[in-house]
Amino acid sequence: MRGRALIAFIIVVTILALVPPFLNGYARSLLYITVLYVALAYAWNVISGYAGYLSFGQVTFFGLGAYTTAISVVRGHLPWWEGALLGGLISAALAVPLGYLMLRLRGAFFALGMLGLAQTLQVVANSWQLTGGGAGLFLPPGSNALPVYYWTLVIGLLTFAATLFIDRSAFGLRLQALREDEQVASTLGVHVTTTKVWAFVISAIVPGLLGGGYAWYLTYVEPVSAFATRFDLQAVAMTILGGIGTVWGPLIGGVLMSQVSEMLAAQYPQAYLMSFGGLVVVLLVFLPRGIAPAVSAALARRRARGAQGHQ
Amino acid sequence: MSAPLLEIENVSRAFGGVRALDGVSLRVNQGEILCIIGPNGAGKTTLFNIISGVMRPSSGDVRFQGESIVRWPPQRIAAAGIARTYQIARPFVRLCVRDNVAVGALVRERTLERARCAAQEILESVGLAALADRPAGTLTLTQRKRLEVARALALRPKLLLLDEVMAGLTPTEIDAMGDFIEQLQERGIAAIGGVEHVMRVVMRISHRIVVLDFGKKIADGTPAEIAADPRVGEAYFGTSLDGAGASSPTKGQS
Repeated sequence: MRGRALIAFIIVVTILALVPPFLNGYARSLLYITVLYVALAYAWNVISGYAGYLSFGQVTFFGLGAYTTAISVVRGHLPWWEGALLGGLISAALAVPLGYLMLRLRGAFFALGMLGLAQTLQVVANSWQLTGGGAGLFLPPGSNALPVYYWTLVIGLLTFAATLFIDRSAFGLRLQALREDEQVASTLGVHVTTTKVWAFVISAIVPGLLGGGYAWYLTYVEPVSAFATRFDLQAVAMTILGGIGTVWGPLIGGVLMSQVSEMLAAQYPQAYLMSFGGLVVVLLVFLPRGIAPAVSAALARRRARGAQGHQ
Repeated sequence: MSAPLLEIENVSRAFGGVRALDGVSLRVNQGEILCIIGPNGAGKTTLFNIISGVMRPSSGDVRFQGESIVRWPPQRIAAAGIARTYQIARPFVRLCVRDNVAVGALVRERTLERARCAAQEILESVGLAALADRPAGTLTLTQRKRLEVARALALRPKLLLLDEVMAGLTPTEIDAMGDFIEQLQERGIAAIGGVEHVMRVVMRISHRIVVLDFGKKIADGTPAEIAADPRVGEAYFGTSLDGAGASSPTKGQS
């Protein structure tokens, strides 16, 4: 089974790598947005799923990456991907002090604190000359979709690999322990603050790297779309639907949500948001922990029955 | 005489106007079993919180193996060899039983795989090995109590703080837990047990007993001395202990 899953994974990645040049513009952008959201969901899943700190402001780093790239290209004449890398670096560097500060907050306070952080940066971008104020910054137009897609795919795969590592590592176990009970984790020898700040850095560097690609893809940045809460809400909904704190949750939830929402939007443009919202609610009522845990429980039951059958 | 393992010196802790601990001093030697008895609210849990670094005292000092640990963060104290359990069991409910224990084992073991192996061994010693793959949230109260102890042992402590480890157990289970605590000294582990009731087992297993009442230490001695102390009888049992109940441990200890 493990071998088969690996083969399936390699086939999917090969398709994702080889097919896009032959797609039309619509299909290509749909694929790009899907991969982008899945990657953002994986990043969100580290701090919010494994460490249990629900964040509504990881888009802070996405916007930061987008603006860093735009400024690097427009004012510094760097290639876009250098700007995007710089955005990732700045996000990681900023995430360390921010993590120490924000991760003192818990539960709703952390979630709202992060939301406030994103709003604050949005206001800064809106009123600063360097960032072009409310009009934003325009990047040189061109056919940027394909390079940005590959950039996003590679970072998405790296984030997936990081999740696989976290799920099987001592670091991941410490994260889950502090998610369950920080005080108990600390009296069992877990360095709680360091561990969660690391998780926060991982969840910041990924949107920091992806934001630059997004700016280059759209060929402009402006405050509202760069720091849009929508990005976090999507990541939250996808991850929770697929299974929060699991390896496959963001992928299952992400692919399902973006495809179904696209299908509904095409078929029932008037009732799309309503029917989509209803679908998410129904799924979560019946599968409160998400799809991935339900599937793995069903598989475990089948395996148990199979084992009994053999005896 | 070697230096004591743990020295608590004149520790006080106030919550608002309430003095939860008021100038408490005590010592624990290597491999010694000390029981702290006292009614609910006497300050036992506060003392455990201070020793384990979860809480800072308002004043006073805590020394472990001669070093002051009063300003250390909890994870450093845990790594140094002081492990604790919680009065109300607090398992990591969504993690499996083995991983609950492996968290503590990671202090000594480099890899997760080795920590899980160590965890499995400890689970066997406390009789939870068959439940290793179950989520800890599915355990019964008794099993949760054992898991608390297993997690603490995973740190390979020199000193084990057992907060109300007998509470909620049946008489048979209390005896089993008593036997378990007695066996700790064979492994060179000292223990401080906080106990509200179950005097019978306390008298049997303790080398020394400390009595707390309203945050003050009112007695410190061998089980025989404690049983004979009139102040203890009054403060703790509501009456003097001259009666038949105290005679058997007195004989057993002297």
